[in-house]
Amino acid sequence: MSLKAPPSPAGSGRGRSGRAPRPVSRRGGIARLGPLPWIAPVILLILAVVVWPVIELIRTSFLNISIAGKVRGSAGTDKFKKLFEESDFGAVLLWTVVWTLVVVSVTMLLSLALAQLFNQKFPGRRVTRWALIAPWAASVLMTAIGFKWMLNQTAGVLNTLMLDLGLIDSSKDWLGRPETAWPWMMAVAVFVSLPFTTYTLLAGLQTIPQEVYEASRIDGAGSWQTYRHITLPMLRSAFLVGVVINLINVFNSFPIIWAMTQGGPGYDTSTSMVFMYKLKETDIGESAAMSVVNFLLVVVLVLIFLKVSRWNEED
Amino acid sequence: MVATGAATLCMALGLTACGGDSDSGDGKTIKLVAADYGDKASNASKVYWNQVKKEFEKANKGYKVDVQVINWNEIDKSVKNMIQAGNEPDLLQTGGYADKVADDLLYKADEVMSAKTRENLIPTFAKAGEVDGTQYGIPWVSSSRVMFYNKDVLKKAGVKTPPKTWDELAAAAKKIKAKKAAETPYALPLGPEETQGETMMWELGNGGGYTDAGGKYTLDSARNVETFEWLKSELVKPGLTYANPASTDRKTAFADFAAGKVGMLNGHPSLIQMAKEGKVDYGVAPIPGKEGPLKSTLGVADWMMAFKDGGAEKEGVKKFLDFTYSKKMLAFDEMYNLMPVTQDALQTMQTNGRHKDLEPFFEVLPSAKFYPLGDTTWDVVSAEIKKTGGKAVVDDPKQVLGDLQKKAETAAAEAK
Repeated sequence: MSLKAPPSPAGSGRGRSGRAPRPVSRRGGIARLGPLPWIAPVILLILAVVVWPVIELIRTSFLNISIAGKVRGSAGTDKFKKLFEESDFGAVLLWTVVWTLVVVSVTMLLSLALAQLFNQKFPGRRVTRWALIAPWAASVLMTAIGFKWMLNQTAGVLNTLMLDLGLIDSSKDWLGRPETAWPWMMAVAVFVSLPFTTYTLLAGLQTIPQEVYEASRIDGAGSWQTYRHITLPMLRSAFLVGVVINLINVFNSFPIIWAMTQGGPGYDTSTSMVFMYKLKETDIGESAAMSVVNFLLVVVLVLIFLKVSRWNEED
Repeated sequence: MVATGAATLCMALGLTACGGDSDSGDGKTIKLVAADYGDKASNASKVYWNQVKKEFEKANKGYKVDVQVINWNEIDKSVKNMIQAGNEPDLLQTGGYADKVADDLLYKADEVMSAKTRENLIPTFAKAGEVDGTQYGIPWVSSSRVMFYNKDVLKKAGVKTPPKTWDELAAAAKKIKAKKAAETPYALPLGPEETQGETMMWELGNGGGYTDAGGKYTLDSARNVETFEWLKSELVKPGLTYANPASTDRKTAFADFAAGKVGMLNGHPSLIQMAKEGKVDYGVAPIPGKEGPLKSTLGVADWMMAFKDGGAEKEGVKKFLDFTYSKKMLAFDEMYNLMPVTQDALQTMQTNGRHKDLEPFFEVLPSAKFYPLGDTTWDVVSAEIKKTGGKAVVDDPKQVLGDLQKKAETAAAEAK
C-alpha cells in the first residue's frame, strides 16, 4: 500500500469530472481518507489547544485544590455553589453585560461614521488611514497603562489638561472609584476596538458597487435615504462580523481593566473575566467554575446574537 | 570530580542514603527557591544566595546547591505550579508557610535544624512558626511597624508633638489640611497590596485583631467594626487621607511620603532609606491607638521551610540550614535594612553602631504581635482581606467585615 504513489489532485479531479469513474475500492489508501490527511494537523492543533484546555477547565471546576496547589480530591458541585453565593457575583455579571453592550455599541456606531469618512476621497486620506491603525498596533496593555498614568491624580496629563480647560475644579482620582473608573475604561476599550471595526466596515463599504448608488441617485433618493436603504443593508455581513468579533473580544477583555484598576476597589470594577482571575488567588476550583460560566456565557451570547440577526438567512 | 567527592564522603561517613540511584537524583543537590528582596541588579538576592552557595559547596564537598530567586509578585504562583507538578523545591524562602503544613508537605523544624541553631532563633519568631504547637516555619527576616512623620510638615501645621491617640491624630491631620502643609495629611493605604497590614495596625489600637485568644477568627468583632467606623467618619469623610483609600497601595503611600507629600503614615524600616533619598526630614513614633500608643505593634516575618519531597536527603538540607542560619545572616539583614531573627545577629546589629536608625524598630520588636501565621487558613483569609478589606472605609464596615468573617469561617470549616 505504501509503495503506491498517492493520487494526484489532478487524478481525483478527473474522477470528479466523471470521465473515468473508477471503483472506490481501487483507490489508494490515503485517497480513501479524503481531505483528512490535509486537515489532520489543523484538527490535532485544535484538539490540543482548544478542546483539551476546555476539558481540563471543566475537570478543574469540580476539584478541591488547596491554596498551596495540592489537589485534595473531588469537590462535586461545591465550587459552583460557592461561586453563586459570592455576594458580589450578581453585580459582577450585571457590570459584565453593561460593559460589553456599551463598549460594543459605541464602537459600532463610531466605526460606522469613521468608515464612511475614510471611504470619501480627501487629501491626506492615506495618512489618516494609517494613523487609525496606531491604537490597534500598540499593545492593549501599554495603551491601558498609558491611560492609567495620564489619569493619575497628581502627575496625570489628562488631569492637568482638564484643570487648565476649566472642566474640573480640582484634580480627581478618576480610577479610584467605580463611578468614574467605568466610563474611562469603557472609553479606552472603545479606543482600542475602533481600528479593527472601522477597517472591517470600510472593507464592506468598498464592496458596494457604484452602480447601485448611481441608480438610487437617478431615482432621486436623498443621502439619508441612500444610507438607510442601500448602504446599511449591503453592509450587513461586514457589520455582523464586526459585532460578533467585538462581542467576544470585549467580553473577554482583561488587560484594560487589570492594568487600570485591577478590578478594584473590592470587585467594584470587575467583569466576570477579572473576577475569575481574582478568585484564583484564593480558590482555583472556584475560579475554574467561573471560567466555565464565562465560557458558556460567550457561547450563549454569540448563539443568541446569530439567532436574532438571522445569520443564515442573509441571502 | 563531584562524583568522586561524593563517593569519598559516603565512604568516610558510612552513610546509607548514598545510593545515588533514587528516582529524584542523587540526593546531594539541594534546590532552593527564594524571594528577591532587591530592587536593582546590584542588590538582587541572587548575589547573596550565590555567595552562600559557593561557601557551602566549598565547605561541604559533594553537595550542590541549585539556587532559584523569584520576584515577590511571581514566587507564590511559581511555587504553586511546582507543587502541582510534583516538583517541590527542598527549601523555600517566602512570605508564608502554614498553607503547606495543611497539605503535609513540610518537615518539622527540628528535623532539619540542629538544636543549637534553633536555640539561636528569637523565641517570639520561632513561636510564630508553629502550627498546633509544632514548629514548621523557620523565620528568615523580620520587621516591625512604627509611625513615620514628616517633621517639616508637622512644624508648618503647628503640631508640636506627634500624635499618641486617634483623636490627636485626627486633630493633627486637620491642622495639616487647614495649613495646606501636605497634600495627604495621613496616608491610609488600604489597596490590595497590603490591606491586611494597615488593617491590623488600626485594629490593634482598639484592642481588636484578627483572632480571639482561642485562635478563632473575629474579623467582624464589635471593636474591629468600631475601628473602621472611626476611620470612615473621622479620616476618610473629612478628606484627611486619600480620596479612595481602598484603591491606594502602600507603595504609592511610601513614594508620596518620600516625595514630601504626606504628613504621617505607618511604615516599616525600608521607608527609612526612601525618606533619606527623598531628603525628607522624618521622625518615628509608636503607632497611635484609640486611648494611647500601641503597646505591641505589628510584627512581620518572612519564612524558610523545608519540603519533604524535594529530592535532596534530609541530612543535606539540615547541613545547609545550619550553615545558613549563622553569622552569615547578618549580611542579608544589612543588605536590605531588615531585622534579624537570630539572637546573635540582633545583638550584633544593636551594638555595632551601624544601625542607629533601626533602634525604634528593635525596641518594639520583642512585644510585637503577628498575623495568625500558624493558622493553616491564614493565607486564604489574608488574600480575601487584600481583595475587599479596604471597602470597609467606603461601604458599611459591618457588612464588609461580616462578609470577610463568613469567608474565613468557610475556609476554616473546609480545612477540617
